[in-house]
Amino acid sequence: MSMAAHSQFHSYDSQSFYDEMFDKESSVRTHYEGVHRLFGRLKPSELAAKHATLQQRMMEEGITFTLYAHNQAEPLERTIPFDYIPRIIPKHEWEEIERGMKQRVTALNAFIRDIYHEGRIIKDGVVPRGMIVGNKYFRPEMAGLDVPQDIYMTASGIDLIRDEKGKYYVLEDNLRTPSGFSYLYKGRSLMSELFPDLYLSSRVADIERSLNVFLSSLRSLAPSGKRDPFIVLLTPGAYNSAYYEHTFLAQQLGIHLVEGRDLVYKDHKIYLRDLRGLRQVDVIYRRLDDEFLDPLAFQPDSLLGVPGLMNAYRAGNVAIANAPGTGVADDKAVYAFVPDMIRYYLAEEPILHNVPTYILARKEDRDYALDNLDQLVVKETSLSGGYGMLIGPAATGKEIAAFADAIRRDPSRYIAQTTMKLSRSPVMMGGAMAPRHIDLRAFVLMGSDAHVIPGGLTRVALTEGSLVVNSSQGGGVKDTWVLSQ
Amino acid sequence: MLNRNAEALFWIGRYMERAENHARLINVHYHLQSEGISAGVLQAGANADANADASPGTMCKWERIVDALGSRSVYEGQHDSYKESDVVHYVTLDRDNPNSLVVCVNHARGNVRTLREKLPSELWDVTNGLYLWLREKGTIDFSRESAHQFFGRIKEWTALFQGVCQSVMPRENEWHFIECGRYLERTENTLRILQSISPHGSITDNKAADEAELVYPLLQAVLKSVSGYQAFRRYYADGVSLDAIIEFLVLNTVFPRSVHYALHAMDEHLRGIELLDKGLRTAHDRIIRQVGKLKAELACLEGEELSLDSEREVTKHLLQSTQQLGITFAGTFFRVGEVSA
Repeated sequence: MSMAAHSQFHSYDSQSFYDEMFDKESSVRTHYEGVHRLFGRLKPSELAAKHATLQQRMMEEGITFTLYAHNQAEPLERTIPFDYIPRIIPKHEWEEIERGMKQRVTALNAFIRDIYHEGRIIKDGVVPRGMIVGNKYFRPEMAGLDVPQDIYMTASGIDLIRDEKGKYYVLEDNLRTPSGFSYLYKGRSLMSELFPDLYLSSRVADIERSLNVFLSSLRSLAPSGKRDPFIVLLTPGAYNSAYYEHTFLAQQLGIHLVEGRDLVYKDHKIYLRDLRGLRQVDVIYRRLDDEFLDPLAFQPDSLLGVPGLMNAYRAGNVAIANAPGTGVADDKAVYAFVPDMIRYYLAEEPILHNVPTYILARKEDRDYALDNLDQLVVKETSLSGGYGMLIGPAATGKEIAAFADAIRRDPSRYIAQTTMKLSRSPVMMGGAMAPRHIDLRAFVLMGSDAHVIPGGLTRVALTEGSLVVNSSQGGGVKDTWVLSQ
Repeated sequence: MLNRNAEALFWIGRYMERAENHARLINVHYHLQSEGISAGVLQAGANADANADASPGTMCKWERIVDALGSRSVYEGQHDSYKESDVVHYVTLDRDNPNSLVVCVNHARGNVRTLREKLPSELWDVTNGLYLWLREKGTIDFSRESAHQFFGRIKEWTALFQGVCQSVMPRENEWHFIECGRYLERTENTLRILQSISPHGSITDNKAADEAELVYPLLQAVLKSVSGYQAFRRYYADGVSLDAIIEFLVLNTVFPRSVHYALHAMDEHLRGIELLDKGLRTAHDRIIRQVGKLKAELACLEGEELSLDSEREVTKHLLQSTQQLGITFAGTFFRVGEVSA
C-alpha cells in the first residue's frame, strides 16, 4: 500500500527512525493494516467528533493530573493528551519483552534483597560499595529486615524504547511508586468505546485480569498469611498530581484509599481510624515516597506519613508495598549494573538490553562524556520524571557548558547515555498523521509469579522532534495493544 | 384506585426496570472481546452448528444475551442465527419483540398516560421524553460507534425516572405498586443473568490457568452488567469465580441488585400497599406469605448449596418461584384477562 493514496499520511517521513507503523519502504507493517485503513479514511469532521467525545469523557470522569508551578495562583488541572492511534505490538514481539521483563525484575528484586542482607554482590566486587551506601535511596533501616515473601517490588514500571532498527532497550527502571496504571486502563476503555469495530476485530490481549493479579499480589503480602487481609492505598492526598490514579486503583482493587492522618500506630500495629473504631491494617500499598512514610524514621517534618509505621513494619505486623528502600536499585547509576545483576543472580544473559551508559564517577567515562556532551544525554542519577536532563543534540552551547561544570563539580551525581533514536509512531495532529517519538512503560506485578500487564502505557513526546515523553513535561499517551494471536 | 390503575403502575415499574437492565446488559457485552473464548470453554448451545460462519465466541456472547432476557424461543422463531446486528436490533428497536427497549418504554409511557392525573406531571415528562427520543433512533444512526453513548443515555433516562419517583411521589399505593414492579423485575433479571451464564453448568472454576484467563473477562462482564463489579470486590476481593459471583448476586444483603435485596425490597413495598376491600386483603395476605416463603428459602440457603449445584437447579427454582409470584400478583390485584406479558 502506498502512502500517497491516503491523505492523512502525506508528508509523513519514516526514514530516519524506526517507525512503528511504516517500514523503510513506507509500506504499512502487517499488524498495523487495520488501524491504518481506519484512520486513513476518517474524515476531518469525524476525527473532530471523536476528539470532542474523548475530551468530554475525560473531563467528566476526571481523568486529569495537576501541574504545579511557582508562579501560578491556581494549579493547572489538565487532561492527559490522549492520542487515539493505538500502538500495536505483535504477539511474538511481546512474548520476548515479557520474558525480558520478568527476568529483569526478578534479578532486581534479588539484588535489593542481597544488599539489605548479605551484600554478596558487593563482596564479590560486581557492584561498587560506594554506589550503594552513598545512594540517596539506600535505607539503612531496611538492613537485615525480612520482607514478606521476599518481594520488594509488588509493582514496578520498566521504561522501554526502540532504536532505529526497532530493537528494544530498557531506558530506566521505576521501582518505587511507578504510576500510569490508570491511564493504561482508561485509555483501553476509551478506545473500546470510541473505536469498537477496530478494537473488537483486532483481538487485543485482555488487561482486566491483571488488576485481579495486582490485588492477589497485595493480598499475598499479608503478615502471617492472614486469609482476608485488610489493605489500604496510602496517598499523599487530593493535591498530589497522581491522585486520580490513586482513586482509580483503590476503586478497581476494592481497597481503602487513606491518608497518613487516617492511620494510627499502636502496640506495634497500624490501625485505620473509621466510624467503627480502630481496624488493623495488614497491607499498605503506598503511593508515597520513602522519606515521607514515617516522620520518626525518615524526614521528621513530614505530615503525610504515619509516625511509628516503620516500627510496626519491623515488627512484622504490617506489609508495605513497595518495600522501603527499593529506590536504591532504580538509581540511574545502579541501572548500568542491571545486566551484571542478571548474570550474577540468575546465571542468564539479559534478554533486554540497557542503553549504553557512562558512569561519570569513572574517570575514563567522564573524560569521554565531557568531550562528547553534544552527542549524549546526561541525567541526574536520582531524579526522574524528565527533570534534570541534558539532551546534547538539542541543547545550546550554554546549556552544555553549564552541565559540564556541574559534572566536574559532582560527577557521581550524573550519568551519560548514548542518544537513542527513539522509535516513532504516528499521532493525529490537526487532522493529519504526524510522527512522534514514543516509549513504553511496561508494568510488572510480583506475587507468587511475576506478571506483566499485556501492553503497558505508550508515552508520546507530542512536540515535534522532542524525546521527552513524561506527562509532567507535556507528554501524551496512547493505548497499547498486544495482539493475542 | 382502580384495579387497572394498580396493574398499570405495577407494569410501569417493571418496564422501566427492564429497560434499564437491558441497557446495562448489552452495553457491557458490546465491548466484551470474547473471540478468544472457544466453544469448549463456554457451552455454545444447541445452535452452534447452524452458525458455522460466526466465530464461536461471538455467537456465545449474543446468544447469552438473548438467554439473559429470557427470549430464546421467541428469538429463534424469527431469526436463524445469533448475528450481532440481529440481536442488537431485536433487543433495542424491534417493535415485534414484546421485550425490546422501545416496546418496554412504549408500554410504560402508555401506562403513565392512563394515569396522568394521578401521577406527578414530571413523571409523564420523563417517560414521554424518553419515548420520543427513542422513537427518533432508527437502526441507521445506531452503530457500534454510538452504542456506548446510546446505552449511556438510556441509563440516564431511567435514572431520571427513578429519581422523579423517589423525590416527588407521595408514599401511597401508587408508589408502592411501581416499586413492587421494579423489584420483582429486578429479582427476575438477576436470576435470568445467572441462568444464562451457565446453561449447562459449563463455565467452571476448575479450568486450567489459560482457560481461566479466557473466562475472566466474561465473569467480569457478568458483574458489570448488574453494576456489581466494585461492590463484589469489597466482599470477595480477588476471588473472582463463578461460584463467588453467584453467591454474591443471590445472597448479598446490601447490594441493591442482588436477589436477596430485591426480594426484601419488594416485600416491604408489598406490605406498604393499603387495601380496604376485605376479599382483596385476604388475597394480599396470601401473596405476602408467598414472598415470605421465598425469603425464608433464601435465608436458609447456604453458599455451598449454590456452589455444589452445577446444574443450577437452585437458581432455576428461584427463577420459577419469582415468575410464579408475578402471576399471583396479577391474579390478586388485576382483573383476570387483562394481564400483559
